[in-house]
Amino acid sequence: MTKWFFYATLLCAAMFAISPFVIANAPYESTMGLVQKVFYYHMPSAWMFLTASVVCGIASARFLITGDSRHDRTAWAAAEMAVLFGLLTLVTGPLWARKAWGTWWIWDARITSSLVGWMIAWAYLILRQYGGPGSEKLAAGLALFGTANVPFIYISVNYWRTIHPATTVVPKLPFSMGFPLWFCVSAFTLLLVVLMKLRVRVAEQQARLDAIYLSLDEEA
Amino acid sequence: MPVSTSFLRVVVLVLGLSGIGPSVITPVASVSAQTQPKQQEEFIPVDQLPPQEQLPAAPLLIAAYTFVLLMLFGYMFTVSRRLNAIQGEVDRLDRDLKKSGRA
Repeated sequence: MTKWFFYATLLCAAMFAISPFVIANAPYESTMGLVQKVFYYHMPSAWMFLTASVVCGIASARFLITGDSRHDRTAWAAAEMAVLFGLLTLVTGPLWARKAWGTWWIWDARITSSLVGWMIAWAYLILRQYGGPGSEKLAAGLALFGTANVPFIYISVNYWRTIHPATTVVPKLPFSMGFPLWFCVSAFTLLLVVLMKLRVRVAEQQARLDAIYLSLDEEA
Repeated sequence: MPVSTSFLRVVVLVLGLSGIGPSVITPVASVSAQTQPKQQEEFIPVDQLPPQEQLPAAPLLIAAYTFVLLMLFGYMFTVSRRLNAIQGEVDRLDRDLKKSGRA
């Protein structure tokens, strides 16, 4: 692992250690009160979920076009990130909603499309794990659908009736709420990069191992 | 025991008539009247729950943050383990190949 990876991991850990203090200093929201502070981890998780889905789709498209296995490894790592951050989003959301809306779950356009996007990422991983030879191209095709779902998730709150906060909330945040949010977004972005790098490294080493076993088989 | 039963009945009657019985029974009755809620004749709707009955936010907030941090640490741990296992296997194969003179 390179030096930048070590420093990035250190910085990321420090940011996550500081984040509870930054969030604690943020003011309470007028209607939701204390529980609104779930927002500072919920929203960065959701953004990382969407980012990972887009990265997975772009890498898959490049893999389908070029056939370069490096893109395939990136796509696989990104799909795992999408599952992880999607899970964080889909668990922290209901914990917030239970208090703010009085219910754990509503089948509105955003939550439902997020669940669909998360299940597509799961389907990608299951296909890669159990699909056998050739499944990487099938999975890459599936990832394109996951990416196509991302803009729909983002804009859904503006076009369909829902009690989910609109996309206008973030640009209108006062500094006292905006600073903790962007601090957490930075921490989560750094974490996504670190985890992606780590996961791609696992895939690279696995590919190296497979190549060694293949060469041994050929020699035997 | 017909004699003792009729004797008890007489004692209860005498106590009741003499006023001792009510003085013993009344405090118990008044306590039960105080603790029992009043019978509801209608349901009155309110928009807001009284504060003492509202769901506390802190456990939900703590659960959300704990879940996120646990999952992230857990994932990082599993990826590190996977990486170490593969790295170990690659190193072992490299050593074996060098020993056998094939590398």
